[in-house]
Amino acid sequence: MKKLLSVLHLAALLAVLLLLYNPLAKIGLLPSLPALFRGGATAIEETPVIIQQVKNIAQMFTQTFYDEYVYDTGLIRTPAFSQNKRLIFIAKGEVIAGFDLSELSEKSIIRRDKSIVVKLPPARILDVVINPSGFETFIEEGEITFEESKKFHEDARRIFERNAREKGILRNSAEQGRQMLEKFFRLLGFETVDIIIPASR
Amino acid sequence: MRNAFPPPARKRLAVLAAVILLLLAVNLAVPARKVRPPLTARTLKDLAELATVEYEVTKIVSYKDVAWYGDRKILFETAAVVKAGIDLNELADQDIRLDGADAVVVTLPRPKILLFNMKPEHMREIFNESGILRSDFSNEEKDGLLSQGEKDIRAKVAHMDILERAARNARILVESWLKKMGFATVKVAFKAQGGRS
Repeated sequence: MKKLLSVLHLAALLAVLLLLYNPLAKIGLLPSLPALFRGGATAIEETPVIIQQVKNIAQMFTQTFYDEYVYDTGLIRTPAFSQNKRLIFIAKGEVIAGFDLSELSEKSIIRRDKSIVVKLPPARILDVVINPSGFETFIEEGEITFEESKKFHEDARRIFERNAREKGILRNSAEQGRQMLEKFFRLLGFETVDIIIPASR
Repeated sequence: MRNAFPPPARKRLAVLAAVILLLLAVNLAVPARKVRPPLTARTLKDLAELATVEYEVTKIVSYKDVAWYGDRKILFETAAVVKAGIDLNELADQDIRLDGADAVVVTLPRPKILLFNMKPEHMREIFNESGILRSDFSNEEKDGLLSQGEKDIRAKVAHMDILERAARNARILVESWLKKMGFATVKVAFKAQGGRS
């Protein structure tokens, strides 16, 4: 009987400890219980960075669009006996627009004395950047696979590009490119500068 | 059961049960801490940068979490695109000097890394295993490991010859454009740190 009493006392004390720990973990004063089972500080192993390709480019960046977006997958229902999934993350990154000057040809620049005409290609989105450090998980429920998470991240990039277009990134990019080149050519001594930029699609 | 335990033990158990019930109520009442997501900050900003070189690099991100109650191991294949070039905002009026009608000297700013991009579609999880007593790698943990990979690539790319190549290409580009514009003699130099070279 004494043994049973000791076990009951021990179980009760453990329950008390657990119930004392849990609210403190909930408010962030202590690590969560699953985190305790994940292990300590994480540090990746030392591996080399290998160059796969080197390309000569001529891209003029004239506009950037910084964005932050809260992405919510909504409740993803899974088959019976497995936990439904949901992922909410914050994505931070930028969209860069400008001109690909490698498309310039001999015919793109016409000079006559102190006048110059430059025909640029249309301004376009050159890069959408959301690096791993730009993703912050807010809520994670159920088992989200890496491939699923990649799809959501790719979707966030598409949203960034759409938002940038809606904000008028291409129009601003063309205007900034025009102003920048006009200033440059005037510094080179040209009195009449005409920059022709076709409308972007 | 009533007579199974002596009265002091019964009293202790009753107190413990009351404490457990009280703590259970506290646990249910305390909501999990949720950091409020930041408000959306959308801004368009002008740039004046000329990217002249692009490096495509790869790295294996590997992590082993060894503990007495079981191991966890994960391996990713990652790739990044890095672009370097010159920031034309740093080009001042005095950096372009005309010498007659067909000669020009341009002093360009020092090249720098302009863009770093790790696209999700270029990342692959190659291996992922956790012991029975270990929890699986969460999405947050995977992002954390990939962020470390990103940091390492950034640090290592800075020590590659990307800036030298960017400078060489910028010189070739600017020379060829100025010659297309009709300048017979073109000299392109680069500003030194705190001066000119």
